[in-house]
Amino acid sequence: MSATPAQRFLQDAAVKSADLVHREIIRRGMESYDAAHLKGRARIKDWEAAREKCQEIKREAINHLDQYLLQFEEKVIARGGHVFWAADGDEACAYVKNLAMRLGVRTVVKSKSMVTEEIHLGSILEKVGIKVWETDFGEYIVQLRDEAPYHIVTPAMHLNRGQIAELFREKVDPGIVSDDPSDLMAAARRKLRQAFFSAEMGISGANFLVADAGVVAISTNEGNGRLCTSVPRVHVVVTGIEKVIPRLEDLAVLWPVLATSGTGQGITTYSTLIGGPRRAAEVDGPEEFHVVLVDNGRSQLLADAEQREVLHCIRCGACLNICPVFRHVGGHTYGTTYPGPIGSVLTPHLAGIKEFKHLSYASSLCGACTSVCPVKIDLHHHLLQNRRNATEAGATKSSERMMFRAWRSAMLHPRIYALGGWSMRKALRIMYGMGLGGTFLDPMREWNRHRAPVPLPSESFRAGWRRDLGAK
Amino acid sequence: MAQSENPSRERILERIRAGLRTGIPNSTVIGSRGEIFEPISNPLQRFQQECIANLMECVLTADCDASARQFSKVLELVPDGEVFVQDDPSLRRLIELAAPLRLIRWSSQGAPSEASQATVTLAEALIAQTGSILVTASCGGRGASVVAPCHIVYATVAQLVPDLANALRSIAQQGTLGRNSFACVISGSSRTADIEKILVQGAHGPRRLVVILQTTN
Repeated sequence: MSATPAQRFLQDAAVKSADLVHREIIRRGMESYDAAHLKGRARIKDWEAAREKCQEIKREAINHLDQYLLQFEEKVIARGGHVFWAADGDEACAYVKNLAMRLGVRTVVKSKSMVTEEIHLGSILEKVGIKVWETDFGEYIVQLRDEAPYHIVTPAMHLNRGQIAELFREKVDPGIVSDDPSDLMAAARRKLRQAFFSAEMGISGANFLVADAGVVAISTNEGNGRLCTSVPRVHVVVTGIEKVIPRLEDLAVLWPVLATSGTGQGITTYSTLIGGPRRAAEVDGPEEFHVVLVDNGRSQLLADAEQREVLHCIRCGACLNICPVFRHVGGHTYGTTYPGPIGSVLTPHLAGIKEFKHLSYASSLCGACTSVCPVKIDLHHHLLQNRRNATEAGATKSSERMMFRAWRSAMLHPRIYALGGWSMRKALRIMYGMGLGGTFLDPMREWNRHRAPVPLPSESFRAGWRRDLGAK
Repeated sequence: MAQSENPSRERILERIRAGLRTGIPNSTVIGSRGEIFEPISNPLQRFQQECIANLMECVLTADCDASARQFSKVLELVPDGEVFVQDDPSLRRLIELAAPLRLIRWSSQGAPSEASQATVTLAEALIAQTGSILVTASCGGRGASVVAPCHIVYATVAQLVPDLANALRSIAQQGTLGRNSFACVISGSSRTADIEKILVQGAHGPRRLVVILQTTN
């Protein structure tokens, strides 16, 4: 029987936590991010005010989602673009696949888009013989390794230059001798240039959909997003319905805040606005422009008043970077499109609470994610709510439910509780005395397996409490 | 798009509306908010500082002749080969003065070729807050600012706006996005830090971004 997502998470977490090379790569990457992020925040006079403004913009957008989406759609269509509403990943993929086949597309260049990862668009197109090139450098690296992105902003951050140089020698150019990042980037550039100029279709995501202007806003640093949306004759935007914002001017805050939270930059190098196919008098640009608005469970989340704000997420990756769990177990361990705290909150809604409820426990509930979220999503409380929701939905194991019923009963009967505590102390003392700590007999084995057993108290907490109170 | 080609549209909209009917979640009233960004007292100075931070080159010139001299110096470092130039009278004059013998492809002749060594364009505006140039499809097209290894922008100080809010407000009021299918706020050369967070300039776009900034019109 194949392992469940929860079992795989535990297995992979154990392996990754013990992988010292991986830990060192992540430690260095995160240290570099931390320094840049702090520096970036210092450029903004009032960071808290910026977060509040972004929260307000996203809240207004989500609370009037239908109106703003319709406004966006109307503007795009008026400029000759097409807007397709996809209820789920299958519909979105079928639309893009049929469009590509109708237009005789053989090669697609893609810029980074987490929604296309979520709906597995790349593999659907490849199945019908369309060559798909990931053109973001990090995405290109993980595509060569046949891996999912490790992180939503830096997809290949789990690899060092030596590992990437080896991969490039095998898959890109056997003549590569250097592991200098600029040489590796140059090799990728040479290869991908051919793809940009031969592809018939470019696929991008969107960071924002601007309702009043009817444009998509795409932020990239490398310029691959620019080429994907400029050179091929068809441009398809695949994005979630929650990306809409009310006004063009909102970007005056959202762009700097997204860049600061994502990479520590003041603004992303290319902050692009695209509203349709090329106009008659324009020099270049795609002849066709399509926007695929993907629901895929998002509208269900709207109905959850408690967690609706999860749709405010701007996918900056800040909560991943600060999360002590992510820093130890890494992005792939989550086994989801969106890793880290936002993924742990969102995935049970998109992919099922029963299968992914364990992610709510991939957190120390320290609240660091909430403290850095640029749109002030109360992430760690949503993780707690997901734990409660899973229990209420009966998604917990029967053994767990029995254990909690027994605990509840003991809590309601102090004598039974005291007896239980006494018995446990005695049993554990004997067990640890026999050197059985951390073995399968030890109920504390998950903790004790890699540590010295926790010293057992000689008396119960209640007895100690009574004694201390008495002494005072 | 015809309704029959978009069968889920109404269903999604209905789901959204049903979701929103469940009530507005905890919407705490936001108190008095402070100023988010430091006001910019000297836009030119700020623009120059931000250009340095963005690893761009900003060359200040007094008049058209000085711009032509600087432009000529920049082109000296550009390898032989085609230079793509936005077809505009001011740039025709600049090319005539600075690089009369250079192989030029004007934007009126079509999009820049893959082999362009440099592109030369105007900008819609310059943004002091972020050290950015704002270009649209009117500035030589979409590819003009990204295809070649070097992008040279010819602008005047009068085009400077203090911040992003002003720039965005201005393009909204002037209907710039109605006339152009594309606009971009460019803040430096193309770059990546995907390997070990080490900055590499010149990823897929220009390695060099030069702004020749003239103080007079």
